[in-house]
Amino acid sequence: MKPQGITGGSFLFENPATALVMGLCPAIAVTTRVMDALWMSAFVLVVLVLSALFMALIARARVSESGEVQAATLGRQRLGALLITATLTGSIEVLLTAYIPEAIAGMGIYAPLIAVNCLVLSGAERATRAETVANGVADAVASGFGFACCLVLIALVREVLGAGTITLFPVGSFGGTIAVPGLSCDPIRALGLAGGGLLCLGYLAAALRSLQTRRANAMAGKAGVQ
Amino acid sequence: MTYSQSPSKGGVNPPDDSFVSRSLRIANAAVPSLAVIPLLQHVGAAARCVVQPGDHVREGMLIGAADGPISANVHSSIPGRVVEIRTLRLPDGAICPSVVVELGGEFEASGKPPKELPWENLSRQDVLQKIQAAGVVGLGGELFPTHVKLAVAPGATVSLFVANGVDSDPALSADFVLLREKPLQIVQALRICKFLLAPTRTVLALGSNAEELVSIYERALREASLDCQIVVLPSRYPQGHEQLVLGSVGDGGTQTSSVILNVGTLYAIYEAVVLGKPLIERIVTVTGAPIKGPRNLKVRIGTRIGELFEECGGLSGPVGKVVIGNAMRGLAVESTETAVTKGTTGVVVFGPREARTRTEWPCIRCGSCIEACPWDLVPTRLYKLIKQGDLVTAEKEGLSRCTGCGCCAYACPSHIPLAAVLQDGMSTRRQVPRG
Amino acid sequence: MAERPEQGGHAALIVAPAPHVGIPGSTAGMTWSVVGALAPAAAWGIFMFGAAAVFVLVVSVGTAVLAELLCCLVSGRMTLSDGSAVLTGLVIGLLLSAGCPLYVPAAAAAFAILVVKQSFGGLGRNWMNPALAGVVFAQLSWGASMARWLPARGVAESGGLPPLDALRAAFSTTGWSGRTPLAVLASSGYTFSGLDATVVQWVNAHVLSIVGVSLRPGFFDLLVGHVTGAIGTICVPLLVLGAVALLRRGVMRWQVPVAFLSSFVVLAFLFGGLSTGQGWFAGGAGFQLFSGSLVLTAFFAATDPVTSPLGLRGRWVYGIGLGVLAFVMRFYGSLGDGIPVALVMGNCFVPLIDRATPRRQPENARKGVA
Repeated sequence: MKPQGITGGSFLFENPATALVMGLCPAIAVTTRVMDALWMSAFVLVVLVLSALFMALIARARVSESGEVQAATLGRQRLGALLITATLTGSIEVLLTAYIPEAIAGMGIYAPLIAVNCLVLSGAERATRAETVANGVADAVASGFGFACCLVLIALVREVLGAGTITLFPVGSFGGTIAVPGLSCDPIRALGLAGGGLLCLGYLAAALRSLQTRRANAMAGKAGVQ
Repeated sequence: MTYSQSPSKGGVNPPDDSFVSRSLRIANAAVPSLAVIPLLQHVGAAARCVVQPGDHVREGMLIGAADGPISANVHSSIPGRVVEIRTLRLPDGAICPSVVVELGGEFEASGKPPKELPWENLSRQDVLQKIQAAGVVGLGGELFPTHVKLAVAPGATVSLFVANGVDSDPALSADFVLLREKPLQIVQALRICKFLLAPTRTVLALGSNAEELVSIYERALREASLDCQIVVLPSRYPQGHEQLVLGSVGDGGTQTSSVILNVGTLYAIYEAVVLGKPLIERIVTVTGAPIKGPRNLKVRIGTRIGELFEECGGLSGPVGKVVIGNAMRGLAVESTETAVTKGTTGVVVFGPREARTRTEWPCIRCGSCIEACPWDLVPTRLYKLIKQGDLVTAEKEGLSRCTGCGCCAYACPSHIPLAAVLQDGMSTRRQVPRG
Repeated sequence: MAERPEQGGHAALIVAPAPHVGIPGSTAGMTWSVVGALAPAAAWGIFMFGAAAVFVLVVSVGTAVLAELLCCLVSGRMTLSDGSAVLTGLVIGLLLSAGCPLYVPAAAAAFAILVVKQSFGGLGRNWMNPALAGVVFAQLSWGASMARWLPARGVAESGGLPPLDALRAAFSTTGWSGRTPLAVLASSGYTFSGLDATVVQWVNAHVLSIVGVSLRPGFFDLLVGHVTGAIGTICVPLLVLGAVALLRRGVMRWQVPVAFLSSFVVLAFLFGGLSTGQGWFAGGAGFQLFSGSLVLTAFFAATDPVTSPLGLRGRWVYGIGLGVLAFVMRFYGSLGDGIPVALVMGNCFVPLIDRATPRRQPENARKGVA
């Protein structure tokens, strides 16, 4: 699958969470609050982009020589990707724990798990097959932003309906939690559970998929008419 | 020598209002003024036409000669003149030439007492020749040329011969009345078949709605000193199907060592061998709610079915659908100009209200079709596979065992046309090259 | 080329594929008869709880119908007449208490129709029972709000909880060994109706005194359904009446509910007492049978053909499996009376059961014959 840069591919229709079904664990686990989703997406984005950058720089040379990727090279690439991702995750986690502890508290165990997140690893691998380093990084950015939008959207739905609040960053006198009138007394708590999260994710994926089908049909229709 | 067997699995009990037609004797239908006789009334190649328009034909004269090893002769059922050779589409979709004969001239065979010819001194070949010449085919509906069925390869033994008198088709009673009115002739035909086949075991299978026939046939067989078992099977549809009868009666022998014939075919064998008469008429049950007087008629091949309604007292209301065969697997015809052929076991008429198509709902997985299927199939699953176009998996799950009996569609509360789709899938699969 | 025979003197004949006859019933007819079979239990619930019950039922059925209408508009096919939306709404309403806030039945019915049924393809394509899944959804979301019980007509206010919940509350305070559930309830101060006291006294005095057995107070109330609880689940005799009517008409098959209830009763009798320290063979199976949504679920939700296995053998397995799950969720679960969750879990196993219980191979009747 060739990386397509920012032009809609990795962002919308090959969105990691909905279309490629990757990174579902954080997508369901940390989307109970909007703030947690925001922190998670930021974390994943940074790790993804940096991993992609490093992998594109390091691993690209081997691919351009022969045009084919041998099994041994693949193994070394994957090991390299894992090392790079783990290092990045570990360092950023330590930084966050020191300076913004509420972020790590919100993400819980899923913060260090980004090191083995299939989304990040596959993004890093895709970057090695890009034509240029810039292309590879752009694809990772698009992928990360797609993941972020997906997470925030799901978190909005789940928190508003499932808890009756919207949790954002505290700024000044604003405590950070907006209570939705009506829903906050007796929210639909089922949506705050894992099953509810899967439901929201599923419907988002279905919506994107139907958009994609409609677009494909429209393009095919246009081609047919011409 | 009489015993009842446990029934085969599955099956359904459609309403059977044949008690009226059962209680009446067979009546001779009027000779038609115009006979439309198709040249394909059997399994195999269509007969070759041996007459031309303008020719004068006698009653019982050959008008179509058997073409090839699996084929049958076709005879004119009325004396007269050949008007034309029309290419017609038969109710099952086959297209074949049909000879149209206009009535005229004198009847040579009818109206005169039948003359019995001796046959005991003939060789097997000669007897088979007589059967072939008369154009006898399986009259229970499967229409296989009988002389081919009765031809035993030299050295082969037939372990079981069954005369199938199980009348499980709902509303039809042709076999029953034939058995009741012609026991001597049926017994003679049994003797002929035993002579031809030399089977180890002979069975006369009767339906449980024919209990009164058991004593008649016990006596007839005793008086004829014929060794034949009488087996009574429950007349739950489709118990009368060949395979189910063999299964309930037989011992699971292979195809070549069991032979089964319908009692109508037996009577035609009797007429062919003993009377020298070709197959030009058959018993047809005409029934249905709009028919005033449902009964069994002896009809000349080629009679248009519209003419039969008058023989039964006429219609008591408008007609919505006319079905050739029985109500479970018969073919609906487009017009009453369709002719009676060798395979017309019955004509069932429905009023407009009965005939209307019922609302089709989605499958609710109730499993009624599975309970109804006598062949251990899962019709709902096969239906879904065929609809998805996956005929290979459907065949692996047993699609080729489907006989189109219609029990699944009968039992379906969602009125899904299961039988039609399964049969359609089967024929599509046969046309597609294997693989 | 090929001529068709000309028309006879009749109007155009209908040409349709065989068979030309069919059973008199239909899917829609079957669904509506189930609605009818639930009517007596619904009527009893309305009689016990009054207008509040009517509101819950109306909101539940109305939301289900509206949700179905919405989907009909989107898909272009009118499917309301098959009765399944009304049945789903009715079952949801009957499983809720009369005092629950009206957004609960509305949300449960909308979830049932829109998510569980229509998102997967409509009638016949859902793999979870829509009504029960809606109830589980509501239990997970609004468990506390759903536990607002209205007093039944003729029962004193102080008997505020349904018998099952009161029993659980009683168990949590002190251990009770070797006592029947009704005895435990009596000791914890649970009051039944005056009518019950009269009847039980009379029966004890005039009928059972000969044998030397005596009924506890509450026996009659529980039997007849004169207690508080969910609208449609309190009166077991009326539910059974409806179920028997459906069985006689051939709409329902008896294997699943019989397997379900028998395995539950056996397990409850043998092991039910273990979780509350009462010991073996002391589970109070009869009490458990008449409490909560067990009977309604067993007869009207477990028998749903769409979400139960295709073959008869599979249904036995399913029924027993449901009984086991129901036992676990009733005695060891924490989500209400546990039966809706058990059924929904059982639904998830149905495809596996279908695969594991294939139809028997053909007997020798079909062997070797063309």
